[in-house]
Amino acid sequence: MPEDKNAIRIDDVSFAYKAGDGTGEATTALDGVSVRIPKGSYTAILGANGSGKSTLAKLIDVLEVPDKGMITVFGADTREDERFWEIRKRCACVFQNPDNQIVGTLVEEDTAFGPENMGIPNPELGERVERALKEVGLYDLRNRESSSLSGGQKQKLAIAGALAMEPEVLILDEATAMLDPLSRDEFLNLVEDMRVKKGLTLITITHDMSEAIRCENIVIIDNGKVVMEGGPSKIFSSGKLGKLGLKQPENYALCYQIAQITGCEILPSDLESEESLIKAVIRMIPRMVSSYIPDDQKIKKEEPSDVIMKISDLSMSYDRGQTKAISDVNLEIRRGEVLGICGRSGCGKTTLITHMNAIFVPQSGDIEIMSRHGVLHASDKKDKKQIRQTVGLVFQYPEYQLFEETVFMDISYGLKKAGVPESEIKPRVIEAARLTGLSEDVLNKSPFELSGGQKRRVALAGVLVMRPEILVLDEPASGLDPRGRDEMFKIIADLKNAGTTVIIVSHNMDEAARNCDRICAIKDGRILLTETPEVFFRTDACEKAHLPRPVLSVFAARLRDAIAEEIKGVDFGEISFESSAEAMNIVRSVRKAVKGRA
Amino acid sequence: MLENVSIGRYYSARSILHETDPRVKALLYIVYLVAIFMIKTTPAVLALIATILIQILMARITPRIIWETVKPILPIAIFILILNILTIRQGSILWEWKIIRITDYGISRAVLMTLRLVFLIISTSILLTLTTTPLKICDALESLFAPLAVIKVPVHEMAMMMSIALRFIPTLIEETDKIMKAQVSRGADYDTGSFINRIKGYVTVLIPLFVSSFKRAEDLAVAMDARCYNGGKGRTKLHPLKLTLRDVLVGIMLALLAALNVAVDIALR
Repeated sequence: MPEDKNAIRIDDVSFAYKAGDGTGEATTALDGVSVRIPKGSYTAILGANGSGKSTLAKLIDVLEVPDKGMITVFGADTREDERFWEIRKRCACVFQNPDNQIVGTLVEEDTAFGPENMGIPNPELGERVERALKEVGLYDLRNRESSSLSGGQKQKLAIAGALAMEPEVLILDEATAMLDPLSRDEFLNLVEDMRVKKGLTLITITHDMSEAIRCENIVIIDNGKVVMEGGPSKIFSSGKLGKLGLKQPENYALCYQIAQITGCEILPSDLESEESLIKAVIRMIPRMVSSYIPDDQKIKKEEPSDVIMKISDLSMSYDRGQTKAISDVNLEIRRGEVLGICGRSGCGKTTLITHMNAIFVPQSGDIEIMSRHGVLHASDKKDKKQIRQTVGLVFQYPEYQLFEETVFMDISYGLKKAGVPESEIKPRVIEAARLTGLSEDVLNKSPFELSGGQKRRVALAGVLVMRPEILVLDEPASGLDPRGRDEMFKIIADLKNAGTTVIIVSHNMDEAARNCDRICAIKDGRILLTETPEVFFRTDACEKAHLPRPVLSVFAARLRDAIAEEIKGVDFGEISFESSAEAMNIVRSVRKAVKGRA
Repeated sequence: MLENVSIGRYYSARSILHETDPRVKALLYIVYLVAIFMIKTTPAVLALIATILIQILMARITPRIIWETVKPILPIAIFILILNILTIRQGSILWEWKIIRITDYGISRAVLMTLRLVFLIISTSILLTLTTTPLKICDALESLFAPLAVIKVPVHEMAMMMSIALRFIPTLIEETDKIMKAQVSRGADYDTGSFINRIKGYVTVLIPLFVSSFKRAEDLAVAMDARCYNGGKGRTKLHPLKLTLRDVLVGIMLALLAALNVAVDIALR
């Protein structure tokens, strides 16, 4: 038999999760999936939340066995009992939550866990651990407690644990979902490097487009079925992504919008690189001239001058002054604005917002809140209760704080605590549910039977029910797929329109640029700059704060430069942070420049 | 809200005690338990304090860490102190008012009981938790109890369970803190109101904590499976326990010190 060039063959596989309550009910996760994964390839399995993509990873590593169909890994059938150890030894996984996959107390102990289980004798065991830790750059921390590492370091530790098993296949199951952009890039560069060095077959399970675009091959799963398969250029030129809860990467989206306006076509060969994309747009210039776009109705954003929250000289330290988590923060938040607070993990963002509703009482400095009830001071104990009702704070992954029997009871918890009369509770719960897009029939369900995205809405409703004047959200969209993220920002926009002041902590700069009126960059506990997105991205605040620039504006700037070389004297005006608006900007400016000359 | 909880924490350092075979430390721990509960006389107590100071030096642990270890149990210690002072009625009376009677014997017993508790916590920390990683403690127990496997006691499984429980303590503390903050921002109140109300308030922390712990347990089980965990069978160890001459010497020396304390005590009774 000729040697199979596929590392993994998945043939017509179906799988359902059986309900644990003995009712025999089963939820279908995969339904007739067939995929081939060649040896040494780099494949993304892409799909929205709940599409069944993670189940596929589990089936490959024999953590589950298919109900129907067959999976072979290096020719070994995963259903054969005597082969499954062999398969697990050859495939290693890195999962989403860094905390939930670390077994060892010390970095070194954890790295050794896999090979120890495999019965690797010393001294080889020690050598493998040393090599793996050096490869991921954690060797100097080998005697550190694993729980004291940062999120990014923990995920690197998980890779070290996988590498020490010397696998041939590495499966990343949403492994970067909880990392900030810089740690994510580091993580991906590291695994891609390892793939080249060791000839690994790399499979990444994700709903992040910027991650999928790095792969050679993409398999899209929706509702347990493979709906699309191919290289990034094929996948991202498809118009179906939106329906699948996914999204084109921003740079592709911009070119597609321009193509749509001008009635041009983008060929698959145009999608190979950013250069070829830019060339494709240049080709469209003649058509741009003949496409009329009405002038941008520049709604001059009225600068709200009224300050609703004033933070002055706020400092805080967790270890009695030795290191400051935040220092000398001065910030004015304007009534009705959406303010984005951006910075790397551990920069003090969360510490800052925890002060905003008086959970942390200022150690030095103060926060003044100009509420309906008058001016409140965070440093004044008497105002604490009033502040908590004025400022609603939603922490990251708020779905983990639900506890009541029904959604209704959970949402109404704060009202009851505040002593709101019974008759007022029901209408207010319904109002909060409506604001977050929850249907009324959900209210009587247990929060624990809802999907992750629904739970998050419940948690958000539980804060909105207090009718806060200021809403503070810590990474409200983390872990959600592109559709879920858009829906979350739609909720935020609605709240802003209803007059709520919103503060969002985020490290997704594209979203911050699109959704915030002003962006505040924090580094090492200090504020670098607070400005409107237009001004903000003209400075080097992103570089200073170690934040990525918005993918769209970086690409748009390149595109503008390329067009400006073709048409001298074209004036593009402000960059827009939304792909469709930017596409219109470009087309309009090109037309004006050419017409003006003629 | 829950900073500085250091019971069960490992303190990373290089010291003689850190490097001593965990089995020796586990046995020493038992020796010291016996000693702590045997001694009664003041000179023996002072000798024990000296011995513990020697241990602290051998473990190179800073006084601050020791203080942080002892701090959480101080309320209990003070409670025991007062309870004993008030309830022991033998001995010569120092002060009496209505039913309250304070005696010299009562005070000395109370101080002894309280000191025993503090010694107990410090010994546990120095000999075990602070200087030995949970995985090593479990290795030691697994090795010491290995003979029981013959009568089908799941020694390895129990050791693994324990080590994971210890590994997750910091994670769960962090999680509890997060949940408490989230509930406080929704209007929960953990430090005012009646006792019953406060207990009720903790439901809002415990339920989410349980739910997430189950989720963690599930994730961890999958992750362990993926890393080829298959019980203790055929497992190797990165740092297999090896008893060296130094371990034996450290063991003998510390055991002798404990014996000396007890001997002093018995001689003076």
